[in-house]
Amino acid sequence: MSLIKVCEVTKTYKGGDGVVEALKNVNLEIAEGEFLALMGPSGSGKSTLLSIIGGLNPPTSGKLIIDDIDVYALEPERLADFRHEYVGFVFQQYQLIPYLTALENVMLPLAITSRPGKEQREMAQTVLDKVGLGNKSNRLPNQLSGGEQNRVAIARAIVNQPALIFADEPTGSLDSKTAIELLELFQALNRDGLTIIMVTHNKENLAWVSRTVYIRDGVLEAEGGN
Amino acid sequence: MRLTDIALQNLRRRKMRSALLVISVMIGVASIIFLYTTTQAMKEDVANKLDQYGSNILILPDTGEAMTFGGITVEAPAQVKELDMSLIPLMKTIKNKETLATIAPKLLVNTQINGQEILLLGVDFPQELHLKKWWKLEGLSKGQLPAKNEVILGSDAARSLGLSLQQTASIKGQDFKVAAIIQPTGSVENDQAVFIDLAVLQKLANRPNAISLIETAAFCYTCPIAEVTQQLTAILPGTKVTALKSTLESRNDTIRQFNLFARSVSLILFLASSLVITMTMKSSVEERTREIGILRAIGFRKRHILQIILTEAGLLSLLGGLLGYLLGMGAAVNFGAALVKAQVHIPWQSNLLGYALGASLLIGLVASFYPAWKAARLDPTESLRYI
Repeated sequence: MSLIKVCEVTKTYKGGDGVVEALKNVNLEIAEGEFLALMGPSGSGKSTLLSIIGGLNPPTSGKLIIDDIDVYALEPERLADFRHEYVGFVFQQYQLIPYLTALENVMLPLAITSRPGKEQREMAQTVLDKVGLGNKSNRLPNQLSGGEQNRVAIARAIVNQPALIFADEPTGSLDSKTAIELLELFQALNRDGLTIIMVTHNKENLAWVSRTVYIRDGVLEAEGGN
Repeated sequence: MRLTDIALQNLRRRKMRSALLVISVMIGVASIIFLYTTTQAMKEDVANKLDQYGSNILILPDTGEAMTFGGITVEAPAQVKELDMSLIPLMKTIKNKETLATIAPKLLVNTQINGQEILLLGVDFPQELHLKKWWKLEGLSKGQLPAKNEVILGSDAARSLGLSLQQTASIKGQDFKVAAIIQPTGSVENDQAVFIDLAVLQKLANRPNAISLIETAAFCYTCPIAEVTQQLTAILPGTKVTALKSTLESRNDTIRQFNLFARSVSLILFLASSLVITMTMKSSVEERTREIGILRAIGFRKRHILQIILTEAGLLSLLGGLLGYLLGMGAAVNFGAALVKAQVHIPWQSNLLGYALGASLLIGLVASFYPAWKAARLDPTESLRYI
């Protein structure tokens, strides 16, 4: 059964050269527990599609249904709640808050819950242990390597136990060894039941995913399974 | 972790910006506190001086022919209608009696000295000298009073009578030594008169207990002068109680000008502080666009972002308000009175702390609201651009 349904989604932007059609009538279904790769060249619309599926960027037309919820029919503040409850993001440049420690960065999604501070701390420490950074929880982002920062970003994405993880070029700035470690981590999380959608342009990453969707010029071209 | 923790951590990280905002609020609050307290002191000082520099309530007999005493209309001593000393204890029974700082009764008698017509003023010297603090007396040191057989001469009277200190003048057959001469004051009633002890003059003129008028200095910095006048009128039958409007109007004008000045400067400082806060917070928000985008992306609501930004502004403003209060109050207490040349002590006013904190918090929140609202409305996709 599909967890995510992207129905006839079109996204246009007004640019200097007129209207740019970033996505054209995109239809896509993603089942619960999938590890999906969105693959395509730069400017193909894959990040736009990811941001739409992630509830960050409303489509110009079409619908996004996640867990039977018409996501963009939600009021803006309910949409924020939806993201908080359902989605964990791993951004391209990790996007950690520089003045918060690794532990505090991981605790961020919990800061707007009613969980007591001690429980928040325990939950954050548990996921940091899970990504192998339990001993570096008090370090600031600039005291961590790129791979470690990426792991903190993953810990932050999963601390709130969301159903979905969206990762935008997570290996883009990592060396091959660290990239493999990260993909193995994603695979382990996927085995635990998390649905993961990863944007990538690196074909080597496809070995870890269960399905690949190719996109070019805003149109889904073909699908491939592993 | 709470939203307050995020705000606090950000403040710790951006020390320079936080310090700038605190200093801006501190300077604003310190200046306003200093200005307010010293202006209050100036007002009090001016009011005290105006109260000290002569009477502001005149009590005269209700009827009779008029004569002039230094431009003030008084009753002729020859008229039957006179006041008497029994009025003075009565005056001290009115509701606002504590405002009557000086009660100076006078008996006016025309007499001949060395063949010249001279106005003799029988006065209660302790009260009179208290009332006329601006008199510069040649011959008497400060606080020293003339004896019963001594007189004080106005400068014109001394010159026209050819009398100098320690010389003797014969008044109604009795000799009086010149104890002091008042240096020229510019007012006829002071410069042309001879001042003598009231009881002695009453005896010499054979008018025991008689007085022609009562000059009263009421400390009306805070009291309602009209009420005091009404209370005196009610309790002193057969008298006409007049508040000297010119003194009051002059005092009110001065106080009004001080108030206007203080309020104008305070408003300018308030606006300047607000502007600095707005600009600082706006720049802070712009610098944190990406960070706000992350928070919005992971599910922070607009109100959470508002809360973080306003908490930061509120905490810094409160700190600025506290430091500003301490600085402003400290400066006012130590240097305020000397700086404005006011002869009053400025006390440490802890009640102003609440106002300082409240006002600085208000400035901080109001001035930061627009940048905070802009931050809350940031589109997470736009904030994270590359998505």
